[in-house]
Amino acid sequence: MDFPSSLPPSLFVTGPLGQSDVPDLSFMCSWRDALTLPESSPQGSQDSAPHVAKALLWKPDTPGPLPLLPPGPDPWDPGLTAKDLLFRGGYQFRRHPRAVLDVTEQISRFLWNHGDIAFAPLGRLLLENFKLEGAHSRSKTKTVVSVKRLIQDLDGHQPWGCPWAYLSQRQRRFSILGAPILSTSVASILGELLHEELALRWERLLLDDAFTGGALAWVPGRTPGAGQLVYPMGSAMDTLCFQKVSLTPESEPQVLRNPGHIQLRGPVRQVVSRSVQGEALLAVRSEHHCALWKVSVQGQPAPLQVLQVDKGATGISLSPHLPGELVICSRSGAVCLWSAEDGLRQIYKDPETLVFRDPSPWRWADFTAHPRVLTVGDRTGVKMVDTQGPPGCGLLLFRGGAEASCQKGERVLLTQHLGDLGPESLHPMLHLVCTQFSLYLVDERLPLVPLLKWNHGLRSAPLLARLLPPPRPGLPQPLLLAGQGGELQLLHLAGVGASTPRLAGLPQSLPTRSDSLSAFPLLEPKSHWRLQERLKAPSIGLTAAILPPGSTPVLSLFQLSAAGDVFYQRLYLQADPGRNARAPAASWTPQATACCSRWLEALLEVPLVPPVWAAPTFSHRRLLGSFEPQKVEGPVPEGFRRAMAQGRLLQRRDLGLLPPEERPPTPEPGPEDELSERLEAAWEFGAAAWWERRRGSRAGPGKQPKRQKRRTQLSSTFSLSGHVDLSDATSPQPSPDRTLPEARPQPPRTPPSQELTQEPWAQGVPSERQQTLRDYMAELPLCTDTPGRTSAVSSQTPSIQATPSRQHTPRDGTVQQLPRGDTPEGATQLSSQTPSVRATPSRQHTPRDGMVQQLPRGDTPEGATLPSSQTPSVLATRSGSQRLRKKPRMGF
Amino acid sequence: MTDFSEELIRPTTEDEQGKPCVRSGSGMYFPWLQKHIESIASGGKQEKDFAQTTSACLSFIQEALLKHQWQRAAEYMHSYLQVLEDTDSNKRQGAPEIVWRLGSEILYYHPKSNMETFNTFADRMKNIGITNYLKISLQHALYLLHHGLLEDANRILTQAETWRYGEKSSSQEVLVNLIQAYKGLLQYYSWSKKKMELSKLDKDDYAYNTASQNMLNRSWKTSINLCTLIQIPGVWDPFVKSYVEMLEFYGDRDGAREVLNNYAYDEKFPSNPNAHVYLYDFLKREKAPREKLISVLKILYQIVPSHKLMLEFHRLLRKSDKEEHHKLGLEVLFGILDFSGCTKNITAWKYLAKYLKQTLMGSHLAWVQEEWSSRKSWWPSFHFSCFWAKRNWKDDKTLACEKALVAGLLLGKETRLQQWMAGQWRNSV
Repeated sequence: MDFPSSLPPSLFVTGPLGQSDVPDLSFMCSWRDALTLPESSPQGSQDSAPHVAKALLWKPDTPGPLPLLPPGPDPWDPGLTAKDLLFRGGYQFRRHPRAVLDVTEQISRFLWNHGDIAFAPLGRLLLENFKLEGAHSRSKTKTVVSVKRLIQDLDGHQPWGCPWAYLSQRQRRFSILGAPILSTSVASILGELLHEELALRWERLLLDDAFTGGALAWVPGRTPGAGQLVYPMGSAMDTLCFQKVSLTPESEPQVLRNPGHIQLRGPVRQVVSRSVQGEALLAVRSEHHCALWKVSVQGQPAPLQVLQVDKGATGISLSPHLPGELVICSRSGAVCLWSAEDGLRQIYKDPETLVFRDPSPWRWADFTAHPRVLTVGDRTGVKMVDTQGPPGCGLLLFRGGAEASCQKGERVLLTQHLGDLGPESLHPMLHLVCTQFSLYLVDERLPLVPLLKWNHGLRSAPLLARLLPPPRPGLPQPLLLAGQGGELQLLHLAGVGASTPRLAGLPQSLPTRSDSLSAFPLLEPKSHWRLQERLKAPSIGLTAAILPPGSTPVLSLFQLSAAGDVFYQRLYLQADPGRNARAPAASWTPQATACCSRWLEALLEVPLVPPVWAAPTFSHRRLLGSFEPQKVEGPVPEGFRRAMAQGRLLQRRDLGLLPPEERPPTPEPGPEDELSERLEAAWEFGAAAWWERRRGSRAGPGKQPKRQKRRTQLSSTFSLSGHVDLSDATSPQPSPDRTLPEARPQPPRTPPSQELTQEPWAQGVPSERQQTLRDYMAELPLCTDTPGRTSAVSSQTPSIQATPSRQHTPRDGTVQQLPRGDTPEGATQLSSQTPSVRATPSRQHTPRDGMVQQLPRGDTPEGATLPSSQTPSVLATRSGSQRLRKKPRMGF
Repeated sequence: MTDFSEELIRPTTEDEQGKPCVRSGSGMYFPWLQKHIESIASGGKQEKDFAQTTSACLSFIQEALLKHQWQRAAEYMHSYLQVLEDTDSNKRQGAPEIVWRLGSEILYYHPKSNMETFNTFADRMKNIGITNYLKISLQHALYLLHHGLLEDANRILTQAETWRYGEKSSSQEVLVNLIQAYKGLLQYYSWSKKKMELSKLDKDDYAYNTASQNMLNRSWKTSINLCTLIQIPGVWDPFVKSYVEMLEFYGDRDGAREVLNNYAYDEKFPSNPNAHVYLYDFLKREKAPREKLISVLKILYQIVPSHKLMLEFHRLLRKSDKEEHHKLGLEVLFGILDFSGCTKNITAWKYLAKYLKQTLMGSHLAWVQEEWSSRKSWWPSFHFSCFWAKRNWKDDKTLACEKALVAGLLLGKETRLQQWMAGQWRNSV
């Protein structure tokens, strides 16, 4: 194979990142790459080639991408923002504002809103020193505090935070006795956990590497213009959708009806497709499973293999050389190669990073020009590993350091083998390495020295890249690079055969989804904001197809957003736009705006996300009451049963036990308001009318909603009753303001009595939080000794269904064979002893191990129905993961 | 403040900048962190209006450039120049480099720009902010070189070569070396031009003598210019190549050999396949013994088993008397065909078919088995699949036949499955 006979000059310095006194030879501009050093004969024609490349431009046909498919029926929530996590007060003396996690506010909010969770275990510890209502004091020897009296003292008379509040002697004594325990233990244990969680969320906000590589793939069909888009859909991203699309050079892509669906057990993170020796293959990575399908010429997927990755998979790649061979990386640092002949083989394992110490468990692997040599990458570098050689040995291909003149804090975010794409394409030995600052091209025959470096300047992490075949023989190859935030760049890579790869012309930025906002009709602010949020959703997939060489090559670009929307854009190649002519800007066509309006209509019909958190429906009265064992069998369950038997709505009066609705004292509107209102009215000569109106409103029901609303805002001890104002519940504010999250009423889907049948703390707590809380409470000794239903922790309670750990360890006997604990701890302990990636050679007829029993249903896309035996477990996991998807705001 | 300018002033403020990421515990730096921080209403020092407008202007320029709107970018650039008078000393120091980078970019692509505009701009920028003089000079020279103005480029490089500022830092030294090397390269170009003319002249001519005298002088200067840079670790292919050519011309073979040996075998240098290729070519010209050539190519084989010289290496090994060389010859052929880019190399397949037969007849079955054992799991599906059989047959019948021959030799002796596959292969062919 040809190796460039003369490489561009570059300095080689070894050392760590960001060495300052080394002259960075990549300081030069983009046109540096267009410059060619004259060969030994200086009169050689150097001018021609770069000038042709200079005028290269892909011109979009519309100012922004258009939606390809109507929005999905599930609501989407943009999730946490920096506003939810960071401290908003600033330090006055800093030159630059700093990101500081707001733990204090979050913990105070948590203690205030979820006092039951925070203090219940302690309460149980102290239980024997308290006398609950009706209970007999258990020990004569200990000091016993009567809770009833204490609460009576507190009842309704203690405005929070008021230093002049009346303190009874009892309260004073209690606070003196209890303060050291209550304040230190809760703050230290919970605070630590909360801080950890917040840091994790913040990290994920800065860089969410789950979708590295992209979850959208193009599987070419029988004819060049026809193919399938494969991508996850549904709110949990657990349904793999096969959408047939046909492309023509003249018109918009045609979407064929009845896409195929395959229901999976976990959210899909990466979809890879590749055609090897005429076989189209499709590999899918979810959190803990990887699967491989073969797609027939007709477009029917047939499952080949499912692999389970206990520690979580971070990357999957398909071999460009051998059909069906794939490589998987695990969070544990292991890289495994799977092939039909040899099965699963661990070819590399190193929990440490390659070049320097970095805590990230992210690993990536890809193939090279040699079918038995792989690249293994992490945040610090990329290594070539020979799978046939002794384990662990290999050369570093890319080193995060002075060799590539990396900056301080620079990390590898994506590596990709720019493999064979036809005879006219770039050299198959080239690899792409993307960091948050730059893009590098490295040749595997010349390790450590990047042949090309481009400062991409994207404002989000470049996690998606696609190299396309040259649109026409002799033209540079387009390389698409997409940031998580939706930015797109198109680089023209030239250099075939014996010449070095270089940029042919300045890279080009392509329109983002947000640029399409102008194609939508004018909206009221709330809907506009919603649309804007939707268009700004992170990009999680990118793919493109170049249509067969016609007169002008057409590039069809498809993007998948985290909200599940597929957008497309067509780009025409302008090989010579004319040096002086300024190309007319693309404008919206009537068809495009009509398409956007239709899409918007469908979007606005999608219900809004139900609030992820509502004030706990818990009152101490009831809790105290429930301690009475004889009362448990009282009218509550009976009323409940009766209501169920009759199939009618459960109403408050059915639960006779419930105390009458408790209304905290509402502060009456001050006399000033009334006075000013009246004065205003008088000023307009309407004093009498005002008086009449006022009398009327006092007596009439018009006052009711106002009171109700105020009540919801005021108190966290209210009981959510059956007659919550529905208008409030169905249209909660989607605004990001979270100053009063407790004001969001819970949707009335769940019967109000649920709190009695389930642990009160588990309600309204996002499932991820529940695990943290459970961990915390597991540390407390008393938790299992308490009588069953009282509260808090017991891993057997049904509430565990909502935890994320359930999601990947379905209880279904046909699925789970591994001896695993129910909790993630159990799973990790187990997996640390066993190889972290398991596989079973599952030919469909010999499922040796139940767990592999065809996780992807081999149904044809058309016949998307699931066998009935499988349905319940699938549904169970689905609902579990749906809960997981509801990203909780840190509103506690 | 934008990420771009952040980046440039980072050396001085990196402690403050680095800290926001401490939360992640990894020391990773996020260019988009600033965006998040700005999204919350944070206290702290507000940016001045001037800083706000310049950073907005900068992002407009970058946007226009990425959309290939040179005209618009130039208009914004006009306003952006005020950043050179920023009162913030950090920014003022970083500004000339940004202005140069963006400005030269615009002028390179702008339809109305010409050589004079670029020259004027470069000359101005060199003298604003002293630290960039060398870098800008070098790029300016490259620009001229690219446009074929060797004389002008030479003048710029000569000016830059003698330029000194303050204490000589290591980075400055490397840059000066680089500038000298480019100057040397320019001299080499004119030298080789002269050489071409000289080759046309009659040796007894008077003009010949003066011309050769001229060349000697030039060569001496050039060698001074080139030899310092190529001692520094790096990839210096064009410089080494021209330097060696000149040394060879004047008969300094030892000097040339030393340069090439150093370039190929110095451990501080990256493992550059071209270094070995140049050494091999030199030795071949020198008519070095076969042993020597083999030893050079052996190292190249270890670095790049897919190199096109490997076929030549195989021929050398085949001609050798040593048995181990014969064995290596087989290994080399298998090694070439391992790579996906070489699967259609008809010569390699021909050699392999021939050499396999030869080896098997020479009763060295063990050699073949040794090579084959690591490949038998994947070569059949990599090379000898039905897909390739059909495709090769369609594209290149000779290739298909050679492959079929090799497949028969390799697979025929193994398991039944492979026999079957070979049969399939034969049938399909």
